[in-house]
Order: sequence, then C-alpha cells, then structure tokens
Amino acid sequence: MKIECTIDTKALSLSVNSNKPLSLMLMEDVGNRSLMSHCKGEACGNCIVLLNGEAVLSCIIPAFRLKDATITTFDSYQKTRQCRDIERAYAKTGNTPCPNCYASKTLIIESILQGLTNSRTNRMPNPMTNRSQHEDNASEMLNKQDIIQELSLNTCQCMDMTELLEIVEIALTFRRRKRVRRN
Amino acid sequence: MYEGIRSPVIHTPKTLSEFNAIALRYTQAQLWAGGTYLMSQKNYYPSEIKDGIIDLGGIDELKKITRNDRFVEIGSMVTASQLLYAGKLVLPDILQQTLQTLASQIVRHQITIGGSLCIPDVRLALSTTLAILDATAEIKHYQNGKVSSHWIQISKLYDKDGNLLLNAEKALMTRIRIGLDFGDFQRFFTVEDPIRNTDECVIFAFQAKRTQNTLSKAQFCINFPSKAFHMSKDLESKLTGQTLPIHPEKVNSISYELVAELTKQHSNITDLQLERGRRIFESTLHALNAQELQS
Repeated sequence: MKIECTIDTKALSLSVNSNKPLSLMLMEDVGNRSLMSHCKGEACGNCIVLLNGEAVLSCIIPAFRLKDATITTFDSYQKTRQCRDIERAYAKTGNTPCPNCYASKTLIIESILQGLTNSRTNRMPNPMTNRSQHEDNASEMLNKQDIIQELSLNTCQCMDMTELLEIVEIALTFRRRKRVRRN
Repeated sequence: MYEGIRSPVIHTPKTLSEFNAIALRYTQAQLWAGGTYLMSQKNYYPSEIKDGIIDLGGIDELKKITRNDRFVEIGSMVTASQLLYAGKLVLPDILQQTLQTLASQIVRHQITIGGSLCIPDVRLALSTTLAILDATAEIKHYQNGKVSSHWIQISKLYDKDGNLLLNAEKALMTRIRIGLDFGDFQRFFTVEDPIRNTDECVIFAFQAKRTQNTLSKAQFCINFPSKAFHMSKDLESKLTGQTLPIHPEKVNSISYELVAELTKQHSNITDLQLERGRRIFESTLHALNAQELQS
C-alpha cells in the first residue's frame, strides 16, 4: 500500500503493508532515531508521537489510517520552542528521564501542557453538539489525577510521580509566561 | 514489507449500505473500529489477514450521539473521548466515571465504544457499567446473503467467563441505547489495570434505586477480566426490597454469599481478586447505608 504523509516536515510516499504499525514504519522505513523498540502489545508507552498535533501511541496506529497525516516525532519536536519549556523544567528540577523514555515522557508532558493551556488545534468535532473539542476542553481542565493517569502511560520507572508532577507544574509556568508575552 | 505476507486489502465503506455489500462479499474480512485491542496483540504483525480489513472509521452513521426523553443512542464508532465530552449533561455519572478510568486521554481518543464492547475474550470496564445500566445494542447479522437486525441487552452479549457470544466476523454492532431511568445510587470501582495486570484486576459497578427507605431496585456486575463476568440475579433480588440501612450482619452475609457464588461458578479467580471483590461489594453496601442515614 502506498501511503503519502508528512513525517517531521518531510512529505513522504511510503510503500508499506497496509496494517503495519506506525512505530515499525518509523523504525524500519523512515529510520527514526527516537523510537528504539517495538513492544508488541506490552503497552510500554515508549512510542509516543504527535499525529496531526495530538499525542498517540504509534504502536496502535495502522498505516492505512495515515493517509495525508502529519506526524511529528521527537526528532523534530526537540527542535521546537515548546520543547524548550519542558527541557528548562527538567533542568530546574534537576530530574531528567532516562534515555529510553526521554522522548516519550517529553511528548506526554507536551500533550498534558496542551490540554492545560487549551492550545490544541485540529480537533475532531463533537458529534453531539457539533462544537469542537477545543471548546469543550475549556471546561475540562486536567486535574492532578488525570495528569497522573496520563504520565502512567509510560511504564519506565526511572522517575517517580512526584518528580514528574513537579516538572509538569514548572513547564506549565514557562508555557503560560510565553503565552502572556505573545499576547 | 515482509516476504510472503501480502498487504491486506483495506475496504473503506462510507455508508452502512456500502458496508453491508462488502460484508456479504468478504465474509472473512476483519472489522476495524479503533484498533487498540487488535494492535496490542502480540501476534498482530506480521500476520496474514484473509479477505482484508473493513475500516469502519469512514461510516458517519456510526459516529452519532442522539438523545430523546427516554434514552441516549450512541453510535458504535463514537470514541471514549467524544462520549466523555458530549455526555456531561446526558449520561449517568457512573458511565462518565467509567469512561475516565478506561485509559489515559491519549488512548481514549482512539478507543471506540463498539470496539470496546466487542473484544472477543476480555471484558473491560465499559461492558461492566453498561450491563448494569440495562443498555441494549443493535446488532446486524450477515448470514446467507441476508442482513438482519436485533436489539440485544449488553449483559446477554457475554457468557459467564466474559467471552463475546457474537461471531464478530458475521455481525456488526451499530448503536448502543441507554435508558435514562437509572438509579439514584451508583458506584464504580476498578482496581489494577485490566490489560497490564489481568490477574489482580477487579471491576465493579453497582446501581440502586431507593423509594423512601427501601431499595426498590439493585443491580451489580463484578468483572474479573478474561476470567468472569458475573451478574447475580439471586443476590440482586435479595437486595431489592431491603429496608435501609441494611444491618451490618446482613451486609456481611450477603458479601460472603457473593464469594461463594463466584467460587462455585468460576474456578480460576485468584484469592486476592475474590477478597478485593468482596470488600468492594461490602463497602458499596456500607456506602449505601451511609447515604441513606445522611438523607
């Protein structure tokens, strides 16, 4: 099957099996360096990428759902200004995830920050109200329990939850300051 | 591509009538809703898929949520996230709580309601809660070139071990209907992750309706993923009609009756799961008593 999509700002046309997981595509066909393993259903949470701006587990996205999709892996995300907020939070707390889960944990934190700052774009319409989830999210502020649930998606034990929560909190402060300055 | 393995053909129907035609022609085709369960199987890729895959993602008729005075109807391709966002005003609290605990937000965007209910061998939280809410599902059967449609109670879709009784290759769940006449006391508990820690997981849902100081209706479902999907008509009828608050000794005896029933009918539940299930059930009845005494 021929899949045309954009991976890390490069428009690509890939010939792959239609049911191949995105994580394997990125490792085998694109040569992505930030994805290191394919857990085969172990739910390790180490394969997070941004699909059309939204964090997803790439091991449960089949190739046939990727037509005209925009995929951002950690390779290109780490060069963005958003990533700086999280890196500064790592530096400030003195806690950094291990190399195995660094990419995924950073992208999960990015997804949480997007939810908290309500800055997500490209949302699916809500089938009941025809409003976008963006509007719905205005009243759907993530609470601490939700943040813990999100962070638990990655099973690597290199950091404890208190450290991760502190990082999210500091990164959120940086992100909000940036938004205030921009406005 | 892997040598010797053909890339499966992807059928992408846009309407239900297109789906009907494809399903009758390619009887062995695999139905694809969100794909979270299928892709998390160890032998998922590479593997041969006969007759290809029918991607349900393009059928708009399966993505609607409608509501009237009596019930809410949810299309089987509505995602857990969409239902959670849409359902704040229309769904019972217990269902919202269930959807929140289903998975993290990142995965909830992908889990579909129909997909979650049609997993062949593992029952997750959504089936447990919908079973006690007396929800029904519209199932379309495809056999001998004919399509027939039936409404079936969610609790009747599974056997006592939680296995799906439908032959998913020849049936499609299109809508789920939830009545709006639900009980005023609802509790939902999930202990441990049903996917990562199946052997220790317990999922429990309970709802009861109170009339003055009497339990006029009580329903519960206790689920041990891939081991037991237990609803007890006997215990439900024992609870129904009880005067509130229920005496602590009665609570204790009923909870041990539940354990006896579970041990008799399901041999593979671990002791830890049994004890967890009993304590959750008992604490739910105590919470019911506490709420009654407060009001």
